[in-house]
Amino acid sequence: MSERLRGVAAAPGAALAPPWRYRPPSAGRVVRHGLDEAAALAAGELERLASALRLAGNQPEAEILEAQALMAADETLLADARGRVAAGGFVADAVVQAGEQIAQGLAALDDELLAARAADVRDVARRIARIAVGAEAPRLARRSIAIADDLPPSITAELQRDLLAGIALEAGSRTAHAAILARALRIPAVVGIPGLLERATAARLVAVDGDAGELIIDPGPDERAAVESLAADAARRAADDAALATQPLKTRDGHRLTLGANIGRQNEAAPALAAGAEGVGLFRTEFMFMGRSRAPDEGEQAGAYTTVLETFGERPVVFRLIDLGGDKDLPYLPVGHEANPFLGVRAIRLARQDPELVLTQLRAILRAGRSTRTVPWVMAPMVADEDDVQLLHELVDRAADAVPDAPAARRGIMVEIPSAVTLADDLARRVDFMSIGTNDLTQYLLAADRTNPALADQQDALHPAVIRSIGRVVEAARAAGIPVAVCGELGGDPAGAVVLAGLGVEELSMEPSSFGGVKRALATVTLDQARDLAIAAAHAPDARAARRLADELLQASAAE
Amino acid sequence: MPQVDLPITNPSGLHARPAATFVKAAATFACDLRVTNLTRDATRSASAKSVLGVMGLGVSAGHIVRLHAEGADAEEALAELAALVAAGLGEVSGRAVDDATRA
Repeated sequence: MSERLRGVAAAPGAALAPPWRYRPPSAGRVVRHGLDEAAALAAGELERLASALRLAGNQPEAEILEAQALMAADETLLADARGRVAAGGFVADAVVQAGEQIAQGLAALDDELLAARAADVRDVARRIARIAVGAEAPRLARRSIAIADDLPPSITAELQRDLLAGIALEAGSRTAHAAILARALRIPAVVGIPGLLERATAARLVAVDGDAGELIIDPGPDERAAVESLAADAARRAADDAALATQPLKTRDGHRLTLGANIGRQNEAAPALAAGAEGVGLFRTEFMFMGRSRAPDEGEQAGAYTTVLETFGERPVVFRLIDLGGDKDLPYLPVGHEANPFLGVRAIRLARQDPELVLTQLRAILRAGRSTRTVPWVMAPMVADEDDVQLLHELVDRAADAVPDAPAARRGIMVEIPSAVTLADDLARRVDFMSIGTNDLTQYLLAADRTNPALADQQDALHPAVIRSIGRVVEAARAAGIPVAVCGELGGDPAGAVVLAGLGVEELSMEPSSFGGVKRALATVTLDQARDLAIAAAHAPDARAARRLADELLQASAAE
Repeated sequence: MPQVDLPITNPSGLHARPAATFVKAAATFACDLRVTNLTRDATRSASAKSVLGVMGLGVSAGHIVRLHAEGADAEEALAELAALVAAGLGEVSGRAVDDATRA
């Protein structure tokens, strides 16, 4: 007789397999490793799990484990445990008790964020204890569905991905770390199932339905067939997504666009490449400059830039020079108090106050180009007129004098200030490439603060004024014979991407998470349909009307 | 003994990543560094070089922390950490998040 248990749908998909019961390791009396050695080994294991997640593109999940690696080496935990060992305790008991003490302290602070960390501390302490007694990490012997009260993220990440078919937990909510990780790793999961362990531990077979939030214990033949068909559907969806990653970005009739990735940090490069990026259309280098009292020095910058260039090899990487301003309150920026920092001394304008800040960055970029033998693309943000283009050329020339034998950088500008649209013909003749930043262009063109919720209608980049401006920039680039890209959010928006293709934009650069949606949308329309839509959107009365036209086209094409 | 009082302005306080940023910076100095959360409990302090110790002080946005330093590079450490806290510990505020992702 089968039995159905209801829980919370935590990660989509379905799976059928025997249950595998996870039990947190109990402390033991054996001492294989001393406390400090066990702690260092635990920190190393957590670092490796974090780095595997990061390489697979699961950055937020990797951060959970990175924080745990730091905890494993933490003096507060280790000093407490050392005291317990000195008082005659066994290493494993001592570290688990010390972890429990700290976890209770965090939970008692009556703070939701810190309470969630309490579970992470307990998990870290148990890992150190397991290593201290010389026990192995839990392994699956065959394809299984893990059942547990709670499954720590570090364990979920550690179990063999090819054997972990599903997860069912008695505790937990959709936002628990276990649920977040299951979604990232595409493992069907149901959590919050009362009575799970009592009923399912002895079962021969369990079925997880992560869409319906249901667990079936010892399913009958009909139930098994139903779950297997759900699992086959989910596998097909996953295969479609994977196949899409290797597909180029093109219209239904085969018109190709270049697909670039927007990245903010060097460790986002490898996942972006794996997701199918043909280059980096926007490297927001300012991330490395934020939250510190001194700017990163030339060597640190060159190291980060080299990593990104190495990862992408021959594919172009566009380095946007630091795009920072007075709103950041960074002590090393040459900016005093400004009434409106978004209209103040920011981005390329900083180079007039403190050329060395930007020259250091340019030298670091050229050095990275030299060590990888690749041509870096450098792009100046907030360019308003030819004076700014002249400034860019002078800076790049000066930096190049200091880095002999480096491949010459390509020089480009970001078009995001309305004056640059007006002057696009002249600017295009003086640079190697242009990229349109639709977020700021919209804000500055419509004089609508992007952060003011009362102005939502004026913040949509599908506004006819923005569409026509992009059209002018594309014309100017074409006349000058240089490539033009869009690296703002409009490119990652399926409706926006179709309009941009219709306008003749050659490259769209976006967050890698938007690749799939944009590829699907563009594949449903022909280039002529995209052109007609671009013309209609450019003449729509407002952004809402333009978006309606785009949605109508996409729905009609998808239905064909 | 040199000390400095610092208002915490970044949105999630000394939790998680901002705490890690703070602790990693503190660990680069040789001097002894201790933190007290004046807003929550002025009698408890923790090592500024321990992420669990710092998190255990329950520092949220709007709290004021006191930083004590003792040792050769004490003044330098206080200046560096004060600047780091003033710069938001690498955590961008609501408006700045938007700005950080601007294109």
